Amino acid sequence: MMLLALVAVLFLGGLAALISERWSPATPRWIALAALALEFVLVLLQYLLTTDQSSAWIADLKRPWIARFGIGFHLAMDGLSLALVMLTVVLGFMAVSCSWTEIKQRPGFFYFNLLMCLAGTVGVFLALDLFLFFFSWEVMIIPMYFLISIWGHEDRTAAAIKFVIFTQVSGLLMLLAIVMLALIYHGDTGVYSFDYFDLLGTRLDADTAFWLMLGFFVAFTVKLPSVPFHTWLPDAHTQAPTGGSVILAGVMLKTGAYGLLRFVIPLFPEAAHQFAPVAMALGAVSVLYAAMMAFAQSDLKRLIAYTSVSHMGFVLLGVFAWNLLALQGAVMTMLAHGISAAALFMIAGALQERLHTREMGNMGGFWTAMPRLSAVALFFAIASLGLPGLGNFLGEFLVLLGAFKVSMALTALAALVMILSPIYALFIIQKAFHGPLRQPYPIADFGYRDMAAMGLLVIASVWLGLHPHLVLSETEPSLQTLQSSAAMESTDEQ
Amino acid sequence: MNSSQLIAFLPVICIAAAAVVVMLTIAVRRHFTLTCLMAGLGLLVSLLALAMAGRQGPVQVTPLIRVDAYGRFVMALLLAAGLAVIAFCYDYFKNREGENEELLFLILAALLGASVLVTSCHFATFFIGLETLSVSLFVLVGYVLGQSGSLEAAVKYLVLSGVSSAFLLMGMALIYAQCGQLNFSGIEQYLASQELFNGMVLTGIVFIVAGVGFKLSLVPFHLWTPDVYEGAPAPVTAFIATVSKGAVFILLLRFFLSSGGYFYGPALTVFSVMAVASILVGNVLALLQNNVKRMLAYSSIAHMGYLLIAFIAGGRIAPNLVVESVTFYLVAYFMTTLGAFGVVSILSTPQAEAVALSFYHGLFWRRPGLAAIFTFMLLSLAGIPLTAGFIGKFYIFAAGADGRLWGLLLMLIIGSGLGLYYYLRLIVVMSMSQETGIDAGHEAAFGRVSSVILAVLTVLLVWFGIYPGYLMSLIQGLY
Amino acid sequence: MNIEATLVSDLLPLIVYFGAVLAVTGVMLGGAYFLGQRHSAKAANEPFESGIVPAGDVHIRFSIQFYLLAIFFVIFDMESVFLFAWSVALRESGWPGFIEALIFIGVLLAALIYLWSIGALDWRTRRQRIDAQKSGRRE
Repeated sequence: MMLLALVAVLFLGGLAALISERWSPATPRWIALAALALEFVLVLLQYLLTTDQSSAWIADLKRPWIARFGIGFHLAMDGLSLALVMLTVVLGFMAVSCSWTEIKQRPGFFYFNLLMCLAGTVGVFLALDLFLFFFSWEVMIIPMYFLISIWGHEDRTAAAIKFVIFTQVSGLLMLLAIVMLALIYHGDTGVYSFDYFDLLGTRLDADTAFWLMLGFFVAFTVKLPSVPFHTWLPDAHTQAPTGGSVILAGVMLKTGAYGLLRFVIPLFPEAAHQFAPVAMALGAVSVLYAAMMAFAQSDLKRLIAYTSVSHMGFVLLGVFAWNLLALQGAVMTMLAHGISAAALFMIAGALQERLHTREMGNMGGFWTAMPRLSAVALFFAIASLGLPGLGNFLGEFLVLLGAFKVSMALTALAALVMILSPIYALFIIQKAFHGPLRQPYPIADFGYRDMAAMGLLVIASVWLGLHPHLVLSETEPSLQTLQSSAAMESTDEQ
Repeated sequence: MNSSQLIAFLPVICIAAAAVVVMLTIAVRRHFTLTCLMAGLGLLVSLLALAMAGRQGPVQVTPLIRVDAYGRFVMALLLAAGLAVIAFCYDYFKNREGENEELLFLILAALLGASVLVTSCHFATFFIGLETLSVSLFVLVGYVLGQSGSLEAAVKYLVLSGVSSAFLLMGMALIYAQCGQLNFSGIEQYLASQELFNGMVLTGIVFIVAGVGFKLSLVPFHLWTPDVYEGAPAPVTAFIATVSKGAVFILLLRFFLSSGGYFYGPALTVFSVMAVASILVGNVLALLQNNVKRMLAYSSIAHMGYLLIAFIAGGRIAPNLVVESVTFYLVAYFMTTLGAFGVVSILSTPQAEAVALSFYHGLFWRRPGLAAIFTFMLLSLAGIPLTAGFIGKFYIFAAGADGRLWGLLLMLIIGSGLGLYYYLRLIVVMSMSQETGIDAGHEAAFGRVSSVILAVLTVLLVWFGIYPGYLMSLIQGLY
Repeated sequence: MNIEATLVSDLLPLIVYFGAVLAVTGVMLGGAYFLGQRHSAKAANEPFESGIVPAGDVHIRFSIQFYLLAIFFVIFDMESVFLFAWSVALRESGWPGFIEALIFIGVLLAALIYLWSIGALDWRTRRQRIDAQKSGRRE
């Protein structure tokens, strides 16, 4: 029931926020905060109350839903989803925090969409019924669309529509693959089922498996995103309001990676294995291409958006390398990037709120004007370039280590980014924070609320880097299960 | 006619009686609200009669009509849609000049035709039902006097509909010439006894497809759709989009299922081409529209294309999944289309139809309830979860994937992508800030009855979107 | 084959007749076209070549009521055709047929009442009607 509550709290919180706008424009944000706090407590409780170590699954909830097609309301949580749900909650706090003053127009509807979006994301991380998964997958898109198209910046409409069309079309490909998989299962056993565990063992011939795998793969790589499906991302991230960017970059991109981990490889181990070189190559190309593109941007948010693509390339690389090291690296990168990207977007958002521009040409000299903001920015720029001791470094290092065993050439290629990423990270610092101050008027530095939020992220980032043991050990059983199920399948096939 | 036949046929009789009563009411006293009430009451009585006949098995009423559970379900759907349309009509016409009472009579007559159509098992009732429906629609489309657009639409519909009827009759004649049978089961028996394809029957089927394709506005027989949708008063547009198309589609499905039309692969090829063309043309042209009614018209063309995918799958998969998919999709489509045109009709004033995008500027902030309803309807048309439209699309996917219709499903995906663009554009316009919108003096009155209907439709839409099990099991038991 | 053969022999007189009609009309029209005289004089297209020059438009506007009445006549006339069919099979259709015919006539009657009461059978213009009402009040 706890799992249902995890989704329901956000959902109901969203509704409450929508209604509460009638009383005062300030209530929705408090309600959003309260809903997230409750969610945090619930996740924590769920984690602490679980004593059963025998299975990788911490909690499991299964109810019949649409009996006609054997669709169940199946939620379950293992270490991997726990970590990602935790990330979602933390970044949810961040999104609320950075929208605190930014959103003045229709706050009720804003927080409604924000919480719906988070509810959908949590649903994606918990769903173990493929239909429910797709359902949640789509549910998180529309609120995000509203966030971008109503509260976004100048080109918001085009960016929002581009985002929805990319994700929706690729999502439909996935739906087709899901339906096909269920139909094949039906053909084998005579019953309909969309349950993950039922479908896990479905026997497929190689061609079918390949096409179905491709359906899932496209949907997830669009979301991830990876070259060549990344073009929606810079626009969406740039145009979204800060809170939206934080959720997009911090959480939503992870749903793509999560999908690859949870569904693509376990469901189609053979096909995924065959496809791995292509996928890894895409990953490596994304890493390099996006890093170079980032360097060419003058728009601060766009630059950060491209660095996201670059980091997500590592995840793709790690997932398809498919050994424990690389998988752990991928998960680590997901978490660490979630934190660092969210922080960078918050800084960019704060700058935009103060300067009304995102052009780095108009920035400079903030080091003296806004010492606190600048210090935080420096920290996260360095985190994102992969300074040892911080989470990002660990993740990338593990991915490279794991991938090296599989493909030396691609790993070497991807490792080149170790040169490129300092360039763009330091480029931001140099352009925006050093040099003469261009604004004649005084600019407000980060206040207590912002510093508290940032402090939390700094701590999280350092903790991930210095004490990764907890995360690694929590996710290890589930990763091992995933890996072994895939491995078992492939030996079965032979 | 024995008693069970009478009970089975009673709903249809009730509608006919209601039409006559409405006519006499107008003769005695011309009063719009009264007439609406009478018409609504007539439909309710008819629905009651349907409920009474509920548990009856299939009944053959004369050789022309066969009332079975499926027919009853669809008839109930049509009547419910008719009720909604009457509610929209009430708010739309109550403050308008002119003698609007006959509208109700025409709606009842059209419903009579549609009800006959969905229970027909014979070419005679096929044709009579279709013509009763169409003739009422000509007048409904041109009902608002003094609007040249409306008149033009009516004439266009009349002429093209006449041509399509001629095609239909030609097709029936060809099939009759070969089979010597006019009822569907007789045709099936004849076709089952033949070993090879019969050229004449195939030609006949293709002619019928052309005739029916016109009513369903499938490309290339779609040219009337945008003009008629635009010209007709909004509630009438809702009626054409739902009752007329729904009844004809169900008839087509029943004809193919019971007369063995599915044996004819080439006919399915024709349908596949029409489906692809409808999806592409409908969606691409909808992209270019700035007129909400025209946009919805093109989108309805595309939706008929989607629906055809499930229909075509019937050539390869078990009929019950086809019937289920088509019916669920139609139910969702009915709710959504009624809702969308209901919003348009509420926003319309006697001075102007709410077709320009400017009517929708900042609707979210002016009338949040209405905008939320419209958003749900549009999302359902786009097939986004939490709405019945998504489950409908899921059914199409299931039927199409089961029938291995990859090309068509790919079209469906492409079409949905294109569709999202124009549905979302409308949502964007609604969410724009109020300053850019029009002044409040333009605002339409608050239609209370329509609003209640819209609220009910939205609740149903979301309910069937989240918990479709009930509706699914209902439909599943029908065929 | 057999059926088709008999069909052809049955239809033969009809086909011959059809052809003959076409031929005769064709000969008449064609003969007039080829043998007739042609004039291109100024007044050639006038109704009377040497009479009074016609004045006014030939397109006279009829009252809309005329069309309405004509349509009603056609409709009710058509409906009576169904009654003929019934009367031919009066004994075979029995009581159910009688009841159905009654219903049919009842619906026709309802339509007539409706038309009467909305004033569709009234041959006066609106102006005339208003005048009549006024004069009626005066009396």
